[in-house]
Amino acid sequence: MTEQLNYSELTLRRLVRRVGALYPLALVAIAWEVTAQLGVIRGIFLPRLSTVLELIPKLAAEGQLFEPLLVSLYRAAGGLLLALFAGVTLGFMMARNRVIQFLIEPLVSFGFSSPKIAFLPIFILWFGIDHVSKILLVALTSVFPFIVSAYEGARNVTINQLWAARAMGTSNIALLQRVVFPASLPSLMSGLRIAVPYALMTAFTAEMIAGGGGLGGALVLAQRYFETPTVFAYILIMLGTGYVLDIAFIWARRYVLRWHEG
Amino acid sequence: MGLRPPAGDARTGDCALTARAIRQRTLRHLSRAVPFILFIVLWQGVSAANLVNPDFLPSAVAVGTALVRLVGAHEIFDNLGTTVFTCFVGLGLGVLIGVPLGACMATSPRIDGFFSPLIKATYSLPKTALVPLLMLWFGIGGATNITVVVLAALLPLIVYTYHGVHGVPRVLVWSALAMGTPQRNLIWRIFLPAALQEIMIGLRIAMGFSFVVGISAEMIASNHGIGKLMFIYGESGAYDYMFAATISLLVVAYCADRGLVHLTNYYLRWQDSAQRND
Repeated sequence: MTEQLNYSELTLRRLVRRVGALYPLALVAIAWEVTAQLGVIRGIFLPRLSTVLELIPKLAAEGQLFEPLLVSLYRAAGGLLLALFAGVTLGFMMARNRVIQFLIEPLVSFGFSSPKIAFLPIFILWFGIDHVSKILLVALTSVFPFIVSAYEGARNVTINQLWAARAMGTSNIALLQRVVFPASLPSLMSGLRIAVPYALMTAFTAEMIAGGGGLGGALVLAQRYFETPTVFAYILIMLGTGYVLDIAFIWARRYVLRWHEG
Repeated sequence: MGLRPPAGDARTGDCALTARAIRQRTLRHLSRAVPFILFIVLWQGVSAANLVNPDFLPSAVAVGTALVRLVGAHEIFDNLGTTVFTCFVGLGLGVLIGVPLGACMATSPRIDGFFSPLIKATYSLPKTALVPLLMLWFGIGGATNITVVVLAALLPLIVYTYHGVHGVPRVLVWSALAMGTPQRNLIWRIFLPAALQEIMIGLRIAMGFSFVVGISAEMIASNHGIGKLMFIYGESGAYDYMFAATISLLVVAYCADRGLVHLTNYYLRWQDSAQRND
């Protein structure tokens, strides 16, 4: 029977099964809407899902959606980029030099598990409440996965590979570019996957605490005016942003590591 | 709980260590403090040489003095206590919900089918974003902060328990059944012990999350806790105290993490696959 199914029918069935698997989400959405409609809970505590969904295009039209989102994304991306440069440099240096490893390794093992958000008051004191303090806090939170993954990636380069490259006359800098960096790419991508959610979370949270715009700041402001539907709308947007970024990341990794068997 | 180690093989390993090996190990552990000491010396040097405005960076000695005074005045214990209480209660509730849920998801496709789309959908949401909402429902601090911590701790616990239980070799289950273990005891005698290593990894991640989220929640809105205290000091310009409060918090979080790692190594010493992780 299955042999007679043609290709489009198969994909259709797969599609139906995939969409069908999402039934719990639909159940939650219906439960939310019905509870709110029944009026058991006041709208200020739990607005209708339909109200929230209608609000999203309205917010977008008023420039209260994409503008703050872009500010937050700018902060997260800026911090990530800084962390990437600093982390990869430190990680490679640790793998290469034992003195540097001796000095940095204990700091990394202390910093990796510590709640970096605790530095926010200090960063506000030093860098104010606008972009800089948030970008640096994001960099601080996401630098540790990069250090560790760069270090591990660089350690994975076998001595034979180094000797072979040297014997063929590769200079030190080219060695880094052509051997060490590509060899640590898979490990770095794993580090990136950990760092991206950290970066987003730190950016949003820092904005919620310190204000200074962004989606987190907008969310707290909306709550202060008891605009609960707006709060829900922002939460849905944050959720969607994280989801889209994760999917984008998976695609990017597949592309970057297309030569890698893992 | 039926987890007695098989005739102390890990113990004999420890006893076989010579005094010299122990001394070397202690020395290696102590040498890890060197970067921190260097850092403090450098910090004090920068301050003593008047390279930075002391309003921006109080000297290491000033912060140390503030730390000693804070510890003496009990103010820090009250606030740290609130924070640690929030984090641990949240973490505990997270374990109580997350571990059974993860185990059920790994053993029943139907439960898995229901919860895994929900978990995937909420996975990427920064849990701190829920603080303003929960504040409306439960008021400032207290229950709000604990709820957020529970939500943050849940995900890693569910995911790691799921993978741990999922990876239990079928052979173990079959042998247990063949030796007459009742079906309902399988979860205690086979699945959870075999998955313990993964669960402990999840617990460590969850503890990190619960500290971050607990402190963040206090910073967003609270009347109590170390997160609030740091901002009070910052707003009143007592920067040496602000730094001291930050340091005390980092130390507490670090000790909790190390404690958990030691606990894990101790409870997993019977497992041959146990990798001592640092």
